[in-house]
Amino acid sequence: MASHPLIFDRGRIRRQQQRTRNRIQDHNFLINWNLEAIIDRLGDIKRSFPRILLIGSRHDPILKKKLAQATRSELMIITDACHDDHISVRMDEEFICFAPSTFDLIVSPFSLHCVNDVPGTLIQMRRILKPDGLLLAAFPGGDSLIELRQSFMKAEISLRGGAQMRVHPFIDKQQAATLMQRAGYALPVVDAERLTVTYDNAFRLMQDLRGMGETRALHMGESGMTGKALMMTMARTYQNDFSENGGRVKATFEMVFLSGWAPHESQQQPLRPGSAQSRLAAALGTTEYGTGDIPRS
Amino acid sequence: MTQTVDPKLLEILVCPLTHALLRYDVARQELISDQAGLAYPVRDGIPIMLPDEARALEDHEVKK
Repeated sequence: MASHPLIFDRGRIRRQQQRTRNRIQDHNFLINWNLEAIIDRLGDIKRSFPRILLIGSRHDPILKKKLAQATRSELMIITDACHDDHISVRMDEEFICFAPSTFDLIVSPFSLHCVNDVPGTLIQMRRILKPDGLLLAAFPGGDSLIELRQSFMKAEISLRGGAQMRVHPFIDKQQAATLMQRAGYALPVVDAERLTVTYDNAFRLMQDLRGMGETRALHMGESGMTGKALMMTMARTYQNDFSENGGRVKATFEMVFLSGWAPHESQQQPLRPGSAQSRLAAALGTTEYGTGDIPRS
Repeated sequence: MTQTVDPKLLEILVCPLTHALLRYDVARQELISDQAGLAYPVRDGIPIMLPDEARALEDHEVKK
C-alpha cells in the first residue's frame, strides 16, 4: 500500500474541524486572507473559468461570491472533508472523486499543508483539470509558527532535558516548486508571503489554532508531558523571546502560493536544441566569433 | 422531503477509489461503486464521498 510515511491522522483532523465549525467565523481570518489573495491574483488573469472547484469551505461565505465574480464561473463545486455546511460534496483531497478533465480552475486556499501525500494529491488535481486548466493553491508553509516551535522545544528541554516535535514540519517554497514540477504542471509558479500576527499571549495563539481546527499542527500526544507545566513554561518562553517590548507576542505565518496549468499544446514550449532559424549575432547586430578566438580589445 | 443530488454534479462524480462511474440509488440515497463494492451515502442532497464512511455492499447488491 502507501509507501510514504503517514504524518497526519486525517480522521482526527476531520473530527477536530467538525468540532470547531460553529465558531470558525471567529478564527478563520488566515483562511480568508489566503482566499482573498488568490482572488486578487485571479484579477491578473484575463480569462473566464466556467467550471471551478473550491476545496474547503471554512472561509467567509462572501468570498465565495467574490470568487464566482472574479472567475465568471457557471458552475462552482465546493467540497470539504469535515462538514456538510455550504458544500456540494464531502471529499477528502487525498481521495479526489471527480472525472478527468472536469474543471477549468481548482482553488485550494488552506488545505495542502495537512495532506500526507502531497505529490499524489497534486497529480489527482491535475487529472481533473481540463487541458490548460489552472490550479491555484495556498497553505501555511516554511517558517510558519517558528516561534511556537522554538518555544515548545526550549520549554521541554528545560523541563525534562529533551524535546520532541510539537509543531509539524511545513513544506517550504523550494520543495513546493519541485512538487509542482513532479506532478506535471506546466508553467509552475511558487511564491510566498510572510504575515506577522500579534497576540496578547501564546495562549491566544493556541486558541486561534484550535478555533481553526488546526491543532493537528501540534503533536501533543506521545510523551505525557502535554500538561499544564509544559504549556505554562512554553508560554513564558514565548513571551520572553518573541514579544515586542514585553507586550504582545508575534507569530509568523509564511503563506506559500502555488500556481500551475494542466499541460496543453497552446502553452509556450521550449524549442529543440539546434532548431533555431536565425543567428543571435544577427539579432544583436554584431559580429559572430567562433569559440577560442575571442578578440582582444 | 429528501433532496436529490444535482444532476450536473452526478455527471462529474466518480468513485474516489476506482475512478469508475457511480450508480445513483434514489430510494436508498446512495451512490454505488460496483467495482469498489461500496455505497457512498447522500445526506440532504450532499454526496459523502469518503471511503471510510461508505457502506460495504452485500454480494447480491453488486451489478456486474
